[in-house]
Amino acid sequence: MPAVEETVERVKEIDVDKYKYGFSTDIESVKAPKGLNEDIVRFISAKKEEPEWMLEWRLEAYKRWRTMTEPTWAKVHYPKIDFEDLYYYAAPKSTEGPKSLDEVDPELLRTYEKLGIPLKEQEVLAGVQGAPKVAVDAVFDSVSVVTTFRDELAKAGVIFCSISEAVKDHPDLVKKYLGSVVPVTDNFYATLNSAVFSDGSFVYVPEGVRCPMELSTYFRINAENTGQFERTLIIADKGSYVSYLEGCTAPMRDENQLHAAVVELVALEDAEIKYSTVQNWYPGDAEGKGGVYNFVTKRGDCRGDRSKISWTQVETGSAITWKYPSCILRGHGSRGEFYSIAISNGYQQVDSGTKMIHLGRDTSSRIISKGIAAGFSDNTYRGLVSAHRRATNARNFTCCDSLLIGNRCGAHTVPYIEAKNASATFEHEATTSKISDDQLFYCLSRGLSEEEAVALIVNGFVRDVLQQLPMEFMAETQKLIGISLEGSVG
Amino acid sequence: MDLPVQQFRTEAEQELLDLFERSVDALPGDASIAAMRKAAIRTYAGLGLPHRRVEAWKYTDLRGALDNVPPLLAELDVQVGESELEAAIGKACLGLPAYRVVVAAGEFRGDLSDIGALRDDGVEVVSLAQMLESPADWLTASLEDAAGCGDDVVIALNTALMTAGVALRLPEGLTLQKPIQLIHLDMIGASGSIFTRNVVVAEKGASATLIESFGTLGAKELQRNAVTTVSLAEKSAIHHVKLQREAIETIHLNVWAANVGTEARYNAFQLSAGAALSRNQVYVRFDGEDGATDISGATLARGRQHCDTTLVVEHNVPSCESRELFKLVLDDEARGVFQGKIVVKQDAQKTDGKQMSQALLLSETAEFDSKPELEIYADDVVCGHGATSGQIDEDLLFYLRARGLPEDQARALLIQAFVGEAFEALDDEAIGDALTIVAAEWLGTPLE
Repeated sequence: MPAVEETVERVKEIDVDKYKYGFSTDIESVKAPKGLNEDIVRFISAKKEEPEWMLEWRLEAYKRWRTMTEPTWAKVHYPKIDFEDLYYYAAPKSTEGPKSLDEVDPELLRTYEKLGIPLKEQEVLAGVQGAPKVAVDAVFDSVSVVTTFRDELAKAGVIFCSISEAVKDHPDLVKKYLGSVVPVTDNFYATLNSAVFSDGSFVYVPEGVRCPMELSTYFRINAENTGQFERTLIIADKGSYVSYLEGCTAPMRDENQLHAAVVELVALEDAEIKYSTVQNWYPGDAEGKGGVYNFVTKRGDCRGDRSKISWTQVETGSAITWKYPSCILRGHGSRGEFYSIAISNGYQQVDSGTKMIHLGRDTSSRIISKGIAAGFSDNTYRGLVSAHRRATNARNFTCCDSLLIGNRCGAHTVPYIEAKNASATFEHEATTSKISDDQLFYCLSRGLSEEEAVALIVNGFVRDVLQQLPMEFMAETQKLIGISLEGSVG
Repeated sequence: MDLPVQQFRTEAEQELLDLFERSVDALPGDASIAAMRKAAIRTYAGLGLPHRRVEAWKYTDLRGALDNVPPLLAELDVQVGESELEAAIGKACLGLPAYRVVVAAGEFRGDLSDIGALRDDGVEVVSLAQMLESPADWLTASLEDAAGCGDDVVIALNTALMTAGVALRLPEGLTLQKPIQLIHLDMIGASGSIFTRNVVVAEKGASATLIESFGTLGAKELQRNAVTTVSLAEKSAIHHVKLQREAIETIHLNVWAANVGTEARYNAFQLSAGAALSRNQVYVRFDGEDGATDISGATLARGRQHCDTTLVVEHNVPSCESRELFKLVLDDEARGVFQGKIVVKQDAQKTDGKQMSQALLLSETAEFDSKPELEIYADDVVCGHGATSGQIDEDLLFYLRARGLPEDQARALLIQAFVGEAFEALDDEAIGDALTIVAAEWLGTPLE
């Protein structure tokens, strides 16, 4: 099987250093003063040259946030975050002013080059030959640095820009859809994000258009003590299709960094959105020091009939992950999918899963979740599948498997299944096991080292999910899986 | 933002405290028991009644369901004859050859119980109320162990207010040939609360079957809280069977807590068909290696019944095996809840845990909520759970009708087959047959 050989080779290629994106870029940045108050919200809004209504929206969220308390129900433990000890806005100084690739600070470009993200339009993703073009929106700390392929996309009628530009240039669309999937009051972190979000991507695919290329955003936290609060809004109008990728990394730092994003997807009639994430935030060092707190609210609304939203995520980074990409299946015949690989090592804690909320007739959903825990980590799958009274013929299939590597880690499964409709057919299965000794022995006897064998078996274990990733990312992900498992054997 | 927590109490929450205050002096027990009761009521006072925001009670809002608390029921002069017993728990179950023990209207009924026969066959058996006055060590140990279930409000209230029940001890090596049938009854026209506690201790190598049947003599408004603790020493085995056919207005709270020793086996089976709201909690904890448990059951609910089954299986030691299979048939506006949690601690290597819950929804308005949970800290384990929910398979129905069966018969047959799978867990054929008859009666298709 060629894939197997390839995997083994890739595992071999991996550098010895555990987290290869851990460098930091020395770049001058403009920061808002530490702490959070109304002035900071006004400061961010002014920096973004936002209209009055946007500022009002933020202030409303801020007031609301002040009355809320942090959620504690997730199976994660961390010292209380001091929200007054964070910078809520940091931007590379050089990005102020007109934006074109030539004017971007070369230091920044080098950073992205190092990360393997093509910002020049003639380039394609590193290491993949013959790959199709990918449009990239690069977000560095609090601002979008550059968005590529805009002209080509504009020809097709697709709007792809940073959210702050969208607020200025497409206020009607933003007003109509922002906060319509994840309301301002949704949860502690979503509300905080609503108040202080700095940048993120905005995508609008008009009726009947199949987006001509993959869109992607690459998030990078660089500045110290800075929270990143990005906001992504993707709207697929009737009969359109878009595939979107998200990648993220951060430098190695001793203190914990906060990342609280909100992603909203809206799919109208017959539209399809495919959202893929490769999350590779800094997970902290071997003693569990530092790392990113990833508290993210992601939700898709299948608003139109026969619409489809599919989430694919590969989670290997972050000290703490608290993330439940969900689908609201409102349109009749709509479909939601969730494919996830969550890998935790060291002292990482992952509490992730999905929600499939069946509201419309003949809606269907599918959940495939693979959790892999190694080291001292805890890996929890938490998911909800619910069918409301009117969700006739709703169907769900859930399969969540966990793999434990080593005996100091934990894997947990907490599914909630709520069927309020007799014709709803729900199936849920979950298993937890360790890599079987037989499989390992077989690989070893074929001359693989123990680490290679583990990477190979794990790749087989997560195959169902990997298949859902866009081609360009599959190769990268296979490498990632090898990286996060390093040091977990023996 | 540390706002002071304001102590809100609903009427029922306060009435439970008042009920304790009023009855405390009359409750059975020596000073050590009195202290235990006081500690338990304090635990309850701190927690209040569980509601939807309490994770373990997410789908059963007990605080919302209790409007008030009727007084403690303790009536010795309740006429209970064979015909009453038969009406209460059904002919099939009453007809099982068994040692009979009756607790009616909150009182242990020695006159109706085969205490003599049990003692002759070597079982140490005492009425709980009597035993509390001078508790044996094994009773105290068992009560204290249950008190360790920290935040379980049902157990706390039971410890505070328990009035009747039996304490059973099976000496080393004793194998009882007949099951013990413990019959819990209410009282005709009564409006009251009953708190019963049974303690079962199986010494090394002992084995027995205990059937707990809950039936009604026609209570008007009953709140039942029944707790049974089972301690299984090395190589002992207890088969614990429950039949619940309470009156339709009843609120039925039940806990079985078992500690399973080395190479011991605890099998539980629960058939729930009665009560307006029932919550069945089964806690199994493995204390010794190579233990095994099988917890199965069937829930039959219609009208506006609410039936909740919550299991927690704790694997603390290596090489234990647990199996769970629950089947729910839900009609009308009934709501079925299944929560099953398997916890595998770090040392519990070679654990083998499997769990399955399946619901059959017969009407558009029935509801099934399920939370099968795995919490695993050991790597060399095989654990799995499954949950399904759906309606009758139209293809199967068509097949049967094509074979000439009328639709309602075909339907009944499919439902029976669905439930029947759970009954296969019952080793004792006679008990299996008796419970199958109860299920068939519920389905309206008495067996020929």
